[in-house]
Amino acid sequence: MKGRSLKAWRPGRGEWNRGAAAHLLRRAGFGASREEVERALEAGLEATIDDVLSRDEHDPALLGGARHLVAAGNIEQLAAWWMALILGGGAPLRERVTLLWHDHFATSDAKVDDVRLMYRQNQLLREHGLGDFRQLLHEVARDPAMLLWLDGNENKRGHPNENFAREVMELFGLGIGNYTERDVQEAARALTGWGTKGRAFHYRPAEHDDGTKTIFGQTGDFGGEEAIDLVLAHPACARRIAARLLEELVAPDLGEAAIEEAARALVDFDWNIARTIEAIVRSELFFSDRARRSRIAGPVELVAASVRALEASVAPADAARATAEMGQALFRPPSVKGWDGGRDWINAGTWLARHNHLARLAAAKGDARPDFARAFGTPDAARSAADAVLTVLAPDGCNDGYRDAVVEAAESCASTEAALVLAAQAVLTSPEYQLT
Amino acid sequence: MLANRRQILIGGARLAALAPFYSLASAGGGSTRGDRVLVVLQLTGGNDGLNTVVPHRQDEYFLLRPSLSLARGSLHAIDDEHGLHPELRGIAELFNEGDVAVVHGVGYPNPDRSHFRSMEIWHTADLDPTPDSTGWMGRLADGVARRAPGEMAALHIGDEGLPLALAGEDYFTPTVRDADGFRLAGGVASLPGVRTRLLEGPAKGDVAFLRDAARSTYRAAARMEAMTAARTAIDYPGTELGRRLRLVARLIAGSFGTRVFHVALDGFDTHAKQRLVHAELLSTVSDALSAFQRDLDATGAADRVATLVFSEFGRRARENGSAGTDHGAGAPLFVVGRGVRGGVYGTPPDLRRLEEGDVPATTDFRSVYAALERDWMDLAASSAAHDPLPLIG
Repeated sequence: MKGRSLKAWRPGRGEWNRGAAAHLLRRAGFGASREEVERALEAGLEATIDDVLSRDEHDPALLGGARHLVAAGNIEQLAAWWMALILGGGAPLRERVTLLWHDHFATSDAKVDDVRLMYRQNQLLREHGLGDFRQLLHEVARDPAMLLWLDGNENKRGHPNENFAREVMELFGLGIGNYTERDVQEAARALTGWGTKGRAFHYRPAEHDDGTKTIFGQTGDFGGEEAIDLVLAHPACARRIAARLLEELVAPDLGEAAIEEAARALVDFDWNIARTIEAIVRSELFFSDRARRSRIAGPVELVAASVRALEASVAPADAARATAEMGQALFRPPSVKGWDGGRDWINAGTWLARHNHLARLAAAKGDARPDFARAFGTPDAARSAADAVLTVLAPDGCNDGYRDAVVEAAESCASTEAALVLAAQAVLTSPEYQLT
Repeated sequence: MLANRRQILIGGARLAALAPFYSLASAGGGSTRGDRVLVVLQLTGGNDGLNTVVPHRQDEYFLLRPSLSLARGSLHAIDDEHGLHPELRGIAELFNEGDVAVVHGVGYPNPDRSHFRSMEIWHTADLDPTPDSTGWMGRLADGVARRAPGEMAALHIGDEGLPLALAGEDYFTPTVRDADGFRLAGGVASLPGVRTRLLEGPAKGDVAFLRDAARSTYRAAARMEAMTAARTAIDYPGTELGRRLRLVARLIAGSFGTRVFHVALDGFDTHAKQRLVHAELLSTVSDALSAFQRDLDATGAADRVATLVFSEFGRRARENGSAGTDHGAGAPLFVVGRGVRGGVYGTPPDLRRLEEGDVPATTDFRSVYAALERDWMDLAASSAAHDPLPLIG
């Protein structure tokens, strides 16, 4: 079990290195530039984690920008706005969990068809994403976009619509195998009358079924709030949320013991998500080999980390369009299950999109041109250009064959800047780089 | 149906007579179901069916459309009572060769006149689609991918988002903007040695998986580049649609492996000053489709390709006050191909019997899908409740 528990990590000599710092900044945020990694190495592990947990202030101009664009009613612009917050780096962990909850409580504008409501839900996830999970779930259940998405308005006394009740058990709270069909039907009855009016939550007492319900073996004349409380009180709930956090922050398939330990932490911290995340990112498990480069990065994290590492000023709309072509259109997850993730990110079309967008990112001209000196320093020859690129983009190191290929790419060029572009393209389009 | 029986038989007889010739012409022998290709050409916005297949014997047509009706003498006759829009010259020629099935009055019950909803219904073949509904072409792509793993089962050619029609369970359909859309970008693309070496050496798990994906993508990109660079014997019109159908024909001729293609042409939402716009759109469709068919003939692939031309709904029978037409319901569609039993199907519109001012749907679109899914692609039909129209074979 050594190295696999939530016991706080005490790095040995040389273990707090570029690989470890970059891992922390990728997982608890959206990646880092060379300067940020070097600052982290200088500051040490504890100070860097403190900084990760406390860096929580967006540029107010960025944050406020949404007010004008929701009126325009264009979801691509809203996606660009969110991408600007992600790339801006003002509150990396908060944006990381906002994206996690967008995937977990996956709601798509394809059905909601209301940019203002998608924006409000996004703000809700941002506001409560690091707070008390119980409150987050209660807020999401009353969120107008969610109510439209899962047919709250159709859920009426005598004609229950089970859509939300099912997903709150199957996906949002418990997972298959932890409830019966009867539990779903009874919870749907408890939630009758919850709907929207205009763009607001609206409770219609006349449509609420106030009869007796039995959920998870408990009987009462439950309303919607109580049904959600029963889901939260179910032992599977903390486990599911803990598993979700581990999968996102550490690695997929860590096994029951790790999930159990993280679920206990979540409950001990009174369901506080930030404190649970803190325990996870300080742990031996988080920094173990098992966690490093252990899953295929999703398009948003891949693009954001690449932009930040290259010190490029990419237009957020272009970045959002790139992630959509790679299979992750913000505000349009494919279904209520969210993005499948892992190997499902990859097929011929999305591999081509990854290759082409990342290659273009390195070779961009004009405003979007990377700041090569900041990103990689000022190497004076092709070989040192290749090394500078590998230091930043492959901080965990690589084998000789890989290094030779990157050097070959750099040496095919006439100038050092061209060498940096080609070396960066070689790394960015390699399979290893797709892992986070 | 009886009235149209003659044409169906004529179409069938011609095909039977020509079949040996075509099987000699195509390199791999005749069309087997395992290599048949379905192309869907979507006319986005709601194509005006009454000015596409014109019921010129009905006086009501001229009364309902004082400024938009088309002169009888300008039409291309498909039978005694109906003629194709003057700009559909190429499609009319294909019809006369027995390669076009015209199906009257296609739609679904309780028509929804919202573009979005109606398109969703056509795309999913589900009258009440949910966020989890898959698309009918996505289901076909899943079926193709299961039989031929590793091939690029379906392709979406266009610059709009992936159509819901192509949303499948397992297979994710890539989008290609044009012939250049599958080209590798970046200087590193011209260093195949570097790319090969980056994919070499021992690997397991995700890295091995990603290397496989990268290799097969690069192979596909190289093949696509070679195929699209090849010259064509046929001149295509210089339209976007022409270029896109040329790409489809190149990939088919080169045995790229893709068996389901989606191509769309937008602009059919003709609420005002429709006459010239609609004529232009139909000539774009007809010229591109005609060149596509000639190209398939020239490469010997014609007998294994069927093309469905559809729109999400037809348009109101009576023209509106802006010399345009509003959203309607049932409309004719075309299925084109050497393997298609050409002729006229379904119940022609009766302009004395409109429903809420619209031509009603008399043939369910799922019976067209069933013919393409089951009889053409040899895969499961979206709905068992709708017998396939006898369009194939």
